[in-house]
Amino acid sequence: MTLLIKNLPFILQGIGMTLALALATLLISTVIAFILGILATLRFRWLRWLVKAYVELFRDIPLIVNIFFVFFVAPLFGMELSPFAAVTVGLSLWGSANGTEIVRAGFASVPRHQWQSAAALGLKPWEVYLFITGPQALRSILPPFVGLLTLLVQATSLGALVGVSEFFKVGQIIVERTTMMEGWNPAFTVYGAVLLIYFVICSALTWFGRWLERRLKNDQRRPASAGPLLVKPLTQLP
Amino acid sequence: MEFDLAYLMAQGPALMRGLWLTVQVSAISIVLSIVIGLMGAAVRVLKLPVLDKLVIGYVEFIRNTPLLAQLFFIFYGLPTIGLKLSLFWSGVLSLTLWAGAYQIENIRGGLETVAKGLREAAFSLGLTPWRFFRLIAAPMAIRVGLPSMLNTSISLLKNSSYLQAIGLAELTYVAIDRISMDFRTIEMFVAICVIYLALVLVLSVFANRLENRLNKPFRV
Repeated sequence: MTLLIKNLPFILQGIGMTLALALATLLISTVIAFILGILATLRFRWLRWLVKAYVELFRDIPLIVNIFFVFFVAPLFGMELSPFAAVTVGLSLWGSANGTEIVRAGFASVPRHQWQSAAALGLKPWEVYLFITGPQALRSILPPFVGLLTLLVQATSLGALVGVSEFFKVGQIIVERTTMMEGWNPAFTVYGAVLLIYFVICSALTWFGRWLERRLKNDQRRPASAGPLLVKPLTQLP
Repeated sequence: MEFDLAYLMAQGPALMRGLWLTVQVSAISIVLSIVIGLMGAAVRVLKLPVLDKLVIGYVEFIRNTPLLAQLFFIFYGLPTIGLKLSLFWSGVLSLTLWAGAYQIENIRGGLETVAKGLREAAFSLGLTPWRFFRLIAAPMAIRVGLPSMLNTSISLLKNSSYLQAIGLAELTYVAIDRISMDFRTIEMFVAICVIYLALVLVLSVFANRLENRLNKPFRV
């Protein structure tokens, strides 16, 4: 216990780094996921295949290999990435592959007639995406994205393997330091505490995800006149 | 820097040894995790008083903590309180515990689709609980639960690469080790990516076949 209190600033720094890494990755992944996910809903078969190939490739290769790949291969092409940047890129490739699948499935869950009737009303394709199918898809997209964030928080621990001083690495350093300086091995306590803190953070996110899911579902049960979620009703279009 | 196929060939045996270890660890862990899954799911479905809560806690804990931290806790943490496991078995234990939590949920999901009325009907026809389970519930549950069980197994195979962090010489470890010696980065990464993709592909083809076979009687 005293061990934890003594290292508190260090630990908080590590947690901050973990969250920063997770949020940065989530942001990049979300952008790529929406671009690729929407591309996959378009009517070009080869485009769909390309997106599918990307998704399958980065889902089927172990995440560790992914991160090491970015870390070791980028310098060969003259890009000296810092460990932080390498991990961000590696995780983003993985996160965006998973995110793409979520976005694609989200748009697929919107009934086709929504698109057809919107087009019949004379909306341009981008207007349909923005005002009709998008908001409906968002309902099924948001909860899994919170799940993705939980997974990303866990996955940032892999940063320790290439030397990013995030939360897990901090745990490792504390174990090594204490063993060296004080002569006893606190691995059980420290790694136990590390597990608990991850558990608290990720549980909170999981709860938030479930809450969001419940809320969005309740909204769906309301009569249609209550208006769509998150965007102004169609009647307010210019 | 060009692609050196001869080098890759020379490293073949080492990679194969790593692959063999990966396959061993994965196969043992997959089997054991399904055993955990079956037991945990039984506890959850039968709603056994205290065990039920314990299983829920276990599943939530595993799902909300990184596998790497679990692995370090088992490999570095447990020996300090007197529980010493070999490198190999620490790896197997952590992968098993990790995948077991997911298998519990997969199997439970399958079992819970078997409607309650069905059980009452079976009992009123005089079937014993065991016969009901064997003849009615299990076949129905497997159809629903199998795809996600196989998915978890595939994830386990990929996650066996975590074991390189504690120094088990599986596929990823061998590759990283060679890279730090010979700097033949591209060759090694191409090799292990192809191997992992092939493994995942083989497993998912197998999974699809199995699913198709199980769905056969239900196709119109």
